[in-house]
Amino acid sequence: MTKRITIDPITRLEGHGKIEIFLDDAGDVEHTYFQVPELRGFEQFCLGRKAEDMPNITNRICGVCPEAHHMAATKALDAVFGVEPPPAAKKIRELFYSAFYVTDHTTHFYALGGPDFIVGPDAPASERNILGVIAKVGVEIGRKVIDCRSRNHGIIKLLGGRAIHPTAGLPGGWSRAIAETERAHIEQVARDNIDFALFSLQAFDDLVLKNTAYLELILSDVYVHRTYGMGTVDANGQVNFYDGQIRVVDPAGSVFAQYDAADYAQHLSETVLPYSYLKYPYLKRVGWHGFEDGARSGIYAATPLTRLNVTEGMPTPRAQEHFDRMYATFGCAKVTDRRYAPIHHRLATHWARLIELLYASERMLELATDPEITSPLVRVIPERIVGEGVGSVEAPRGTLTHHYKTDERGLLTMVNLIVGTTNNHAAITLSIKKAAQSLIKKGSVVTDGILNKVEMAFRLYDPCLSCATHSLPGHMPLIVRIRDRQGALVQELRQDS
Amino acid sequence: MTRPRATRTRTTRTVVIGVGNPILSDDSVGIRIARQVQCCLGAAMPDAGDVEVTEMYAGGLRLMEALTGYDRAFLIDAVETGDGPPGTVHTFARQDLRALRNVSGVHDTSLGMALQVADRLSLPLPSDIRIWGVEIEDGMAFGEELTPAVAAAVPRVVGAVLAALQS
Repeated sequence: MTKRITIDPITRLEGHGKIEIFLDDAGDVEHTYFQVPELRGFEQFCLGRKAEDMPNITNRICGVCPEAHHMAATKALDAVFGVEPPPAAKKIRELFYSAFYVTDHTTHFYALGGPDFIVGPDAPASERNILGVIAKVGVEIGRKVIDCRSRNHGIIKLLGGRAIHPTAGLPGGWSRAIAETERAHIEQVARDNIDFALFSLQAFDDLVLKNTAYLELILSDVYVHRTYGMGTVDANGQVNFYDGQIRVVDPAGSVFAQYDAADYAQHLSETVLPYSYLKYPYLKRVGWHGFEDGARSGIYAATPLTRLNVTEGMPTPRAQEHFDRMYATFGCAKVTDRRYAPIHHRLATHWARLIELLYASERMLELATDPEITSPLVRVIPERIVGEGVGSVEAPRGTLTHHYKTDERGLLTMVNLIVGTTNNHAAITLSIKKAAQSLIKKGSVVTDGILNKVEMAFRLYDPCLSCATHSLPGHMPLIVRIRDRQGALVQELRQDS
Repeated sequence: MTRPRATRTRTTRTVVIGVGNPILSDDSVGIRIARQVQCCLGAAMPDAGDVEVTEMYAGGLRLMEALTGYDRAFLIDAVETGDGPPGTVHTFARQDLRALRNVSGVHDTSLGMALQVADRLSLPLPSDIRIWGVEIEDGMAFGEELTPAVAAAVPRVVGAVLAALQS
């Protein structure tokens, strides 16, 4: 008899999104998948609208990363209207984007992913949350987190025009220049961010890496997948969140592909499966071979960890120190002068995220002290319609691609988005399956701790499905249902936060 | 986030926050109500005190940060409790927050959790937090229209919020 275990978040009472674990007759995990309902009709909503509205439409797809959608849309419009923004505009965009990264990665570490480690993977769910983190590390650190979010939201508002849904991105540039007094303020915020990022890495060191049990968990095979990895790199082959080429490395660390974002369709395909609304992108040249990892499977991931796996070292000095340390901890040899063989231990994504937090902070300081950043030349007025454009950025949770086509009047005729989390759908499924297989054996009793570790397998991806779809568990109460093949309830476990 | 604002002594400072996605059909109902409340404010409502109306499509910490520093916070959101047909208006207290559609999100804590964080960090939370939730029919399709039953609830909630502002 096949049993089905369901991890079912009930943030909304009807329970959107769930993880299903199917057991075989022997009580071992046979298959897993996660399922989420999809928002409907986005492309239809957009067609016929003016292309220039897209930065202000797409930034409303989702409340989590409006800045990423705004930026990808703005870059797509540069292409649609065939216009190259002035250097200062590009730098302001990246400065804005760096502040966004600082807030997003900070929130994930302290409020979402970090509690698994700081409070502990076996702690009751009711304690694995930001309150548990504050209880463990102290009120002062809680204030630092809120302060960090606040000062960077201030920068996002200052540069982006609004606190939540930015409006400043325009085809050909940015709607406002930066005054010297504003620049000085941003510089100070960037310096504070660097201190905060270093503090966070130290906290990770003290609370996680120095805890033998947690370190063993990170280094264990439970969370290892040898897939391809994706990230955006600049002309030096180094990570950049705002602009560059898309690089894919194979599981051994060789560069498999490097291409302009505009050519994404030559490199990626998507498959759909009968039981899920989700699309599963894969590398076209390798092909879709089901939920398997390895070089012969076209499954790839696009995460903070894969961004570091593809980069020729970090572009900033302090981030480089921590980058070297992380790869040394995993015993990775260098495959080029500055790049290491990939880390496939997916829980290292949390560490990579903190290194990116430091990089974003350092990059913010570089840009805030760039003499050109206060240039008044922030816009080139578009004078033609090319009619097609792709814009791509690294969203915190993966490569984000917007692709638009328009008619000769600039009205949209085609819209395609590949959002950050979508890249990782297949990889997330792999991780859930492997974690479940390692942790649930021969009908062993399903405890909260085991299910927490299954949850950890997808939480490390920082999945944001409110744009890909809608909702997936972050820190949420869970209902676990074990069912037989006919769907009859065998057992129900409940875990409230 | 605490924002600077003009200090008006002896007035109650209230923030009205419409929560939702403005382009996701019924999910936008809170935002639409907040916009109408904004339109009704002004000279006609001398007893409302110092009122700021804002919109959010984010729950948890972001929403908590948006209401710190005020004396009162009135939130309006879409809900799917199943307790009543679309258009049913529920009122909630702080402890009921889990039922709301947008105040908890995957990349954030729930608002209830975030408010506990604020308490723990001694952030200045409003002493009076009231929530209106409108039962919705379709919050999964992109669109700029409300379904009829939900649209019919809008003026009722606008009236209730305006009355509460003057209370």
